[in-house]
Amino acid sequence: MSKRTIQLEVLRYRPEQDKEPFFQTYTVPCEEEWVVLDALNYVKDEIDRTLSFRWSCHMFVCGSCGYKIDGEPKLGCKAFLRDYGDNIRVEPLDNFPIERDLVVVIDDFVEKLQSVKPYIIAKEEKALAAGEYIQTPAQLKAFKQYSMCINCLLCYSACPQYGLTNQEFIGPAALALAHRYNMDSRDVGRSAREHVLAAHEGVWECSFVGACSVVCPKDVDPAGAIQQAKFTSAVDYLTSMVGIGGK
Amino acid sequence: MGARRPYMRTMSKTSWFMTHARFKTYMLHEISSVFVALYMWLLIDGLFRLAKGPEAWEAWLSFIKHPLVVVISLIAFAFFVIHTMSWFKAVPQAMRIQQGEHFVDGKLIIGGHYAALGAFSLFVLILAGVA
Amino acid sequence: MARSAKAVPWFLFAAGGTITAFVLPVMLFVTNLAPPVGLFSEAMSWETMYGFVGNWLVKLVLLGIIGFGLWHAAHRLRVCAHDFGIRADTVVAYIVYGVAGLATLATIWALLMI
Ligand code: SF4
Ligand code: FES
Repeated sequence: MSKRTIQLEVLRYRPEQDKEPFFQTYTVPCEEEWVVLDALNYVKDEIDRTLSFRWSCHMFVCGSCGYKIDGEPKLGCKAFLRDYGDNIRVEPLDNFPIERDLVVVIDDFVEKLQSVKPYIIAKEEKALAAGEYIQTPAQLKAFKQYSMCINCLLCYSACPQYGLTNQEFIGPAALALAHRYNMDSRDVGRSAREHVLAAHEGVWECSFVGACSVVCPKDVDPAGAIQQAKFTSAVDYLTSMVGIGGK
Repeated sequence: MGARRPYMRTMSKTSWFMTHARFKTYMLHEISSVFVALYMWLLIDGLFRLAKGPEAWEAWLSFIKHPLVVVISLIAFAFFVIHTMSWFKAVPQAMRIQQGEHFVDGKLIIGGHYAALGAFSLFVLILAGVA
Repeated sequence: MARSAKAVPWFLFAAGGTITAFVLPVMLFVTNLAPPVGLFSEAMSWETMYGFVGNWLVKLVLLGIIGFGLWHAAHRLRVCAHDFGIRADTVVAYIVYGVAGLATLATIWALLMI
């Protein structure tokens, strides 16, 4: 294990005393195999107990350690120090209000996520005794990639349209999840999600910048999901316009 | 605990794309539309002159050969290539082809597009050459 | 939230994007880059062109390229305006689609005269 010293520049914001955020630099002795989250924890344990940041699993499954590291939205527990220089800048995610230090307010996203009804809406509820809803591996494959989301919000931080629309755009993860349930063979809830998905603030606010898919730590590819959703809801729109079908 | 006072950092709505390399690339392919629009306008003008007769058409041709127009055409060509490349690159994301439990490899789909582009371009060039 | 009518121009944008991606590089080469260096002067002469475009199938193809190209550019220009911070999206939409519509009609008119 080799030692290394880094300068960790962290954006601080303490609402009770700071008018606005400022950078504070900590000198951190690190092990070469550490991730940025380890360095933050070192600061918290050994240097400055007032530093606030969210984390939980340390293994990229909980999605709570999203920060902007050297200008790029990253999971703190997946950002290995060996990939960075000796000066690392850690900021809260863009496009969200800062609650304190690296902690952001995510209420807006939670609301948006709920609005797309991210759960299976079955044709009819089966009694437990009636057995499971059958699904083939091919049917699973159709949406599986879009179900890997851990709600880390890196994609919202990377998305310029979310910022440009003053957070009105429903955004990558919520739209990808809406698409995930729409694609699920056990689900019949597409029409129940359509008023959000097919709204101006839904898929149509996306201009396919594609940043969400680049930064996603779970390879969800929200940008791809949104383009597919655009296609299906455009077909829906046209068919209902000429009066054949429509949902 | 102090009172909550969430702080919202602002983003420039007019120059945000200068903040990251991938945004610049994105703007580059968005701006290709300016040159597509200009070219469509030039083509429509050409059609009217073609209808009008040989002299009008000759005037259009000499306009094309004007050095300034040649420079703009070269820039437009670069933007058209950018548009083609970014469009093809996005195809596998927008249109996944599922075969059973697998998706057709994106590289294959992109490769197919380039092959078709090559074949079509060659066809047009031969057509123009033998005319 | 109401369903957005953006679905319709988006379809034209997407179709136009695909068509222009395949067609425009080589087409611009033939019409704009080859003539200055004396290439394809036979093909670009009035007689050959007039005869070529006189064919109704060629007319249809040209209408497809120009028409979809126009709507593709129009929609992307609308997005560009938004990305450059112009917030009057409805006004922008009317202008770009209006011009694209008129130019499409002009294309049909020009083709009918040949
Ligand atoms: S789509 Fe990816 S980047 Fe976005 S919240 Fe889900 S896991 Fe995170
Ligand atoms: S701590 Fe759970 S994803 Fe990083």
